[in-house]
Amino acid sequence: MASLYDWIDERTGVKRISRAILDEPIRGGARFAYVFGSGLVFLFLLQAATGIFLTMYYVPSADHAHASVAYIQKVVPMGSIIRGLHSYGASAMIIILVAHLVQTYLFGAYKQRRELLWIVGIIMLLIVLGFAFTGYLLPWDQEAYFGTKVGTSVAGEVPVVGEVMQRILLGGHDLTTLTLSRFFVTHIFLLPLALLLLVVLHLYFFRRAGAAGPYHHRDDAKVEPFYPYQLFKDMLFIFIVFLVLLILAVKFPARLGPQADPTSDYLARPPWYFLPLFQLLKYFPGKLALIPTVGLPMVLFGLLFLLPFIDRRPERHPLRRPIAVSALALALGGSVALGALSKYQDATHPEFSAKLRAQEEEARAFMKASFVPQEIGRSIPVNPPIVKNPPVVGSRVLKIYFANCANCHGADAMGGPMAPALVKLAKHWRLTKSFLVDYLLGHTREPAPGSMPRFKQLMPEDREAIAEWLLALDKPIRAMEPEAPAVAAATPSAKAIEPKKRTTTLGGPRAIYRSHGAPLEQPAFPPPPAAFTAHCAFCHGPRGEGNIGPRLISITEKPNRRPEDLLKLLTDPRAYGLKDPMPARFPQLSDEDRRQIVEWLSKLK
Amino acid sequence: MNQEQKVSPSPRRKPETSKIEQGTSSAQAIRNIAPRRSFLGLMIGLMTASIAGVMGVLFAGFSLFPAFKKLSVERDWTDVAPVDDIPDGEPVKRAVVISQDGGWGRFNTQQLVWIVKNGDHLVVYSAICPHLGCTINATDSGFICPCHGSAWARDGRKLGGPTPRGMDTLEHRVKDGLLQVRYRFFRQGVPDKHVIA
Repeated sequence: MASLYDWIDERTGVKRISRAILDEPIRGGARFAYVFGSGLVFLFLLQAATGIFLTMYYVPSADHAHASVAYIQKVVPMGSIIRGLHSYGASAMIIILVAHLVQTYLFGAYKQRRELLWIVGIIMLLIVLGFAFTGYLLPWDQEAYFGTKVGTSVAGEVPVVGEVMQRILLGGHDLTTLTLSRFFVTHIFLLPLALLLLVVLHLYFFRRAGAAGPYHHRDDAKVEPFYPYQLFKDMLFIFIVFLVLLILAVKFPARLGPQADPTSDYLARPPWYFLPLFQLLKYFPGKLALIPTVGLPMVLFGLLFLLPFIDRRPERHPLRRPIAVSALALALGGSVALGALSKYQDATHPEFSAKLRAQEEEARAFMKASFVPQEIGRSIPVNPPIVKNPPVVGSRVLKIYFANCANCHGADAMGGPMAPALVKLAKHWRLTKSFLVDYLLGHTREPAPGSMPRFKQLMPEDREAIAEWLLALDKPIRAMEPEAPAVAAATPSAKAIEPKKRTTTLGGPRAIYRSHGAPLEQPAFPPPPAAFTAHCAFCHGPRGEGNIGPRLISITEKPNRRPEDLLKLLTDPRAYGLKDPMPARFPQLSDEDRRQIVEWLSKLK
Repeated sequence: MNQEQKVSPSPRRKPETSKIEQGTSSAQAIRNIAPRRSFLGLMIGLMTASIAGVMGVLFAGFSLFPAFKKLSVERDWTDVAPVDDIPDGEPVKRAVVISQDGGWGRFNTQQLVWIVKNGDHLVVYSAICPHLGCTINATDSGFICPCHGSAWARDGRKLGGPTPRGMDTLEHRVKDGLLQVRYRFFRQGVPDKHVIA
């Protein structure tokens, strides 16, 4: 073992480093008053470790954040404890940070060329508050959502820069999934990196200035090494803190309320460390609210930053620094009093107390309820139509098409000003080959001026070929692979198109994944009357979804398109200002046809 | 560790050492301080180890549990297509929706199957290659996996390539004219077919 250690030491210098770390001289001997700094290092490590593991399941998206936290809390083994450690650890961090600050303040340990050490510490205090603020939103429950809503609104109150600041915080104008993403990234990447750098800087400044030691001179002669005397006291403190956190996390699982619901009348209350500011807010109405929300924190932190420069006397004994110590007592006492007052007011207010109790009850009920996984994705497969007899298509058909059809129906078969699109004829109209052949010959229709001419000049086999090819055509010609224009549709199974039971997701908006531009989850669809299919569908689509003619879905909600308007419009389209080709096309409808079409259209939503 | 030499004698030494210190050499004093130092070191080690141990157990349970979760092999029947629509002879590729357990969510994802119908005889194959999981394609005479060149006959028999076995068949039934399968995932790279999900 010893030789292995030597081997490593020769290559790393680990002995010198560990000696430099462990033999740090503690002026005046080890004390429990000095344990808070190490306690904070431990808490930082604990938060980092638990945080890293929590991201193993956490999803930073407004849709899934809450479900993933509920999963951690209710399903994942140890999840409740790890989340509890992280949540209580955050509070502990603030408490111990204040203790560390108070100890440094009382011992006058910011004096004697320790200005930078102190200032770095104050920046770290701000960063820890930033951690608390960003972490609070991540579970995306009611408390998180509304707490953050209020918090970011406070930022928006700042004069001049407030609005821009709020938008930067939110990542937009409202609290959305983008807000969650940027809070998440700030919480797990930006702030930890910044804090890590500052911890290193803080420790460097600390070791450079040396431990300040006690404020009196009784123990001046005594010096103990950090290891084991101070480290033991530090470790004992850390161990107790850890035990307390562990017991809290096991006995009182960290709270998770129901998923954020922006429409609810949730009564937002800040976490305990922001309660004093929240209470102050009540005393400053309107524009004066800036005093507690912006003015006071700025003055407070300004004073903290400048403290080593304001208080330059070498005197460190707290009893001989009455102004400094009473200012601290006032700040701390005031904060505690304000926080307690806010709790008291909530507890005694007849409406608030009942509402807060109800919210508490809701959260508890949610915690007790068993976990329900979110339903994600669509429930019907998007399949291309089954190919029964793949038609063999060569360039001959295309030649016929371009010679005879493309002028009107477009070079891509997507239709032109004169004629409709030809793609998906089989799918949308259930046309058959014989129908198309007859149509080309003009047998099934009465060719009128301006309508499609007869194509008697085509060879019978060419008519057959082009009809077959048309039935197989399901995308624009340009978009097709050169060798295979035909993925044909014989009869696509009605089952595949029919809407199935809708998939719902818990809470958040329904997730629908689109691919290949295929229609998904079409709404319930009343069958169109025969007259519509015969006369309207060619331009307006078989379901009124629009093709070369406009979309007719929800048409009756438009002005001048009430059912009675539509009836008149079908009789005399020009009265409604419509232009060709709509009015010229279908004057041959019977009254009954019109009535049926309008009745169907008004159901089409 | 030789921090012992670094301890400076102090007038306010702890009682058990201060007695000895009177009239003894500093080397002797250090020898007597040593037990206290190693005791504190031991305590530090114990506390550190217990925190690390607790966190280790927590993190291990938290992160490793999916590997030890009991497998539920029950999966619902999934609609494929009306059986009459499936042409004879030619293999038909269909996507089926399957529900996958994603922890906090139940994901309706799609997987591909190949259907081969010959009169009344119908077989449904998983389109996942039993070798390394690429998607199997149909050819004029059978099936191939384009990734590593495995080949199968129309009846799913292994013809060649690195695949360890024939194509994986899926349990199917026809209900009210609708072909349904019970989709499964199989372990890849082994000669026998094992259901893994």
